[in-house]
Amino acid sequence: MALLSLDDLTVSYGDNTVLENFNLEINQGEFVSLLGPSGCGKTTTLRAIAGFVNPGSGRIVFMGKDYTNIPVHKKQFGFVFQNYALFPHMSVFDNVAFGLKMQKTPVAEIKKRVQEMLELVGLEGFAQRHPGELSGGQQQRVALARALVIKPDLLLLDEPLSNLDAKLRVEMRVEIRNIQQQLNLTTVYVTHDQEECFSISDRVVVMKDGKIEQYDQPEVIYRYPMTEFVARFVGFENFLDLKEKDGRLVTNNGIEFKLDRNDELAKYRVAVRPDDIVIKEVGGDRTANVLTAKVKISTFLGKEYQYLVETELGEFVVNAATVNRIKNGEQIELYFPEENIRIVKEAL
Amino acid sequence: MNEKGKSLTLFTFLVYLFLIAPLLIITVTAFGQSEFLKFPPDSFSIRWFLNVFEVEMFMRTFLISLEVACIATFIALLVGIPAAYVISRYRFRGRKILESFFLSPVLIPQIVFGFSLFNYLVIKLRLPVFTGLLIGHTIFIIPYIIRVISASLANFDYEIEEAAVIFGANRIKTFFMIVLPNISSGVVAGFILAFINSFNNVPISVFLTGPGVSTLPIQMMSYVEYYFDPTIAALSVLLMGMTTVLMFIIERSLGLSYFTSK
Amino acid sequence: MKYRLHYLLLIPAILFLILFLVIPLFITLLSTVRTDGGWTLSRYPVFFQDFYLRDIYFRTLKIAAITTLAAAVMGFPTSYYISRTAKKYRGIYIILAVFPLLTSPVVRSFSWMIILGKNGIVNDFLVRIGFIGEPLNLLYTEFSVIMGLLYLFLPLMILSLVGVMENIDSELLRAAESLGASRLTAFLKIVLPLSLPGLVIGASLVFTGSLTAYTTPMLLGGDKTQVLSTLVYKNALALFDWQQASLVASIMVITTFTVVISINWFSGKFNRGEAG
Ligand SMILES: Nc1ncnc2c1ncn2[C@@H]1O[C@H](COP(=O)(O)OP(=O)(O)OP(=O)(O)O)[C@@H](O)[C@H]1O
Ligand SMILES: [Mg+2]
Repeated sequence: MALLSLDDLTVSYGDNTVLENFNLEINQGEFVSLLGPSGCGKTTTLRAIAGFVNPGSGRIVFMGKDYTNIPVHKKQFGFVFQNYALFPHMSVFDNVAFGLKMQKTPVAEIKKRVQEMLELVGLEGFAQRHPGELSGGQQQRVALARALVIKPDLLLLDEPLSNLDAKLRVEMRVEIRNIQQQLNLTTVYVTHDQEECFSISDRVVVMKDGKIEQYDQPEVIYRYPMTEFVARFVGFENFLDLKEKDGRLVTNNGIEFKLDRNDELAKYRVAVRPDDIVIKEVGGDRTANVLTAKVKISTFLGKEYQYLVETELGEFVVNAATVNRIKNGEQIELYFPEENIRIVKEAL
Repeated sequence: MNEKGKSLTLFTFLVYLFLIAPLLIITVTAFGQSEFLKFPPDSFSIRWFLNVFEVEMFMRTFLISLEVACIATFIALLVGIPAAYVISRYRFRGRKILESFFLSPVLIPQIVFGFSLFNYLVIKLRLPVFTGLLIGHTIFIIPYIIRVISASLANFDYEIEEAAVIFGANRIKTFFMIVLPNISSGVVAGFILAFINSFNNVPISVFLTGPGVSTLPIQMMSYVEYYFDPTIAALSVLLMGMTTVLMFIIERSLGLSYFTSK
Repeated sequence: MKYRLHYLLLIPAILFLILFLVIPLFITLLSTVRTDGGWTLSRYPVFFQDFYLRDIYFRTLKIAAITTLAAAVMGFPTSYYISRTAKKYRGIYIILAVFPLLTSPVVRSFSWMIILGKNGIVNDFLVRIGFIGEPLNLLYTEFSVIMGLLYLFLPLMILSLVGVMENIDSELLRAAESLGASRLTAFLKIVLPLSLPGLVIGASLVFTGSLTAYTTPMLLGGDKTQVLSTLVYKNALALFDWQQASLVASIMVITTFTVVISINWFSGKFNRGEAG
């Protein structure tokens, strides 16, 4: 059974309903990321799990118990805030020790555990400093240490790396993942950085407008997006509409497309990455999965060229490592290999 | 700076002369020798400063003013801080109206407020004058407290409180361990602003004083009616000394920018 | 959050204000329309039919208006100057404006008694240069009250204006000038509209302050130049005419609220007009 499950959760701010009938299950020891554009409700989901916002309806079940109405301070959850939210008037030591003090842990043990934790995040020498005297990365580590030291049942992180520079961000995410695995912590992680999210998560929740678009392992989401939204999110830029005609799938201008399909639908929307389309010279013998096109703009990307091409079905973006740049206005053929085509649900 | 021009500089200088000269004149006059208020004095002495301490009523009423200002400010803090907290931390229907309500005592003409309170508390309810005085001062300084505390709370990230709560502190512990230490400068500044305004108040006190219960400003007003010697000037200088100290504390705790950003 | 217990924290403040502000004021207002057997509004017109009282009413308004105008005229250029001063020196100007504000109104009014008195500096000077033979009666006149009030409230005007003008970007002015606007045009088209909110706040503070001030008119106007606030006091504690005191008090409250509400309404309307 899942460690944490959100059952039919609804959360609103006044008249603005942010989450509606939201369902999510997370297993013990799993690292799950919430990914999505700004305003889609990631923070709200995390805050609902923590208990900072009360769901209008639905349940939060944790370790088999109904956690919906448990007061925030009675839960053993760790939270890392986007702006760290360190206590400005306390030293690093007291910040980290805060949770333990609240649990009335003996002083000697507090000392020992805080020391250990500061070592783990590499802040041994900083115990007596105040947050104002630390760099962003160091404050971030304090926030992490403060959350980890209480041995939380669940670790919640809200874009913890978004205030750091790019290099530090990569370092810290590796560190967070290491610690998480070392301590076998169940973790919910909010981000809108796709690469960050894929690199550290066991499973990813892609969200849009307060709804889950897809919940799966990073590889699956990257390779097999289920909706147009997710597809666009992970780099599919070309979309085509196909419909059933005489038992075959054809485009609007009647060209046949072959693809792997399990379910028999009347209409399909398919997505292809720019890298996955093959450019051919005009006059090949293949006719299925091929569109004729005219180059409109070409851009040199370094390892390949990117072409914006015009077809009867609209514009497509194609990346190709051709030796010479194809001239603007030249006629070409685009081949869509069957194995690179993904069927997606249409965006509403 | 050419955008400022010479005539503007001169104008500003004259306006500031207008603001400062009267207080300087009082100060110089206070050091005069003669029985009359004269500027500039013919000869100098500190006899009028000594005289301030001779007038028993000044000393008595000074202590009463001090007592009233301290107690009223303390009560206003007790009542005002929780209210300011809810107003700045929670969004609810009618919040704006409630905020205006809490700030409304500054809109009521103080003389009217003093009169009404006297009529109600002392005449109708037969409360002691001193109680009325305390209540009057408390009510009219509540807006100062609420405004200053709200301003400090606005600068204190709510997430920090949430952090305390998620790490096991209940709301009350959070307030005393996390919020209060971080708005302490606002509390100090609010205390002083409220204190000064209570200490200097005349229009409310004028109705809520009586035999045996008077405040220093009221006493000074009646002294001026009968005597025109530099004692009041000397007392004024002493009071300005007090203002200077309190202002220094405000500057330290709140920063002077508070006064220009309403 | 669920149980909304935190709203209990509002109760002491609400209770305090209702018990000790709303009820007493309400009683005062009510007493002006109560008669032995019923209700009447007739006391208000009677007040305005009395020449003496009507004079005091309009004198109070006049004094407040002149004070506000003078404060605006003195405060506007000064605040502009301060707002264009380097940040580290601005603090000095602010301190010098705040200091009088925190000084006892008795002290501040008293200083004008020294200045304007029979043996005061002004008379002294005028006699010495032979401009006048006898010292003038400057005290206890509308002039002395206005000077006292101006002195009392000018800092409020300056602080309100500086608060807004500080945020006007100098670059904006330079840009306007570089686009060919004369300094005057730039001032009229940029500084004036942008500082209007500060001017409105300052003016309403000064106007309502002057309208309701007690200490200064008492010390510098006395019995000779009465205003509404001193009239309330006199009716209540010198003449023991409670009824009349309540009436004057109510008229003050109504006037003040009318002024505050219309200023808010006008500035609200104006701001919306600007945005649209
Ligand atoms: N306290 C609040 N009151 C009212 N509406 C809110 C509040 N907090 C968030 N919202 C609204 O709820 C929606 C979801 O917000 P949320 O903060 O969960 O988004 P997010 O996915 O975390 O976005 P971001 O990436 O920008 O942090 C938004 O439309 C936001 O405007
Ligand atoms: Mg967020």
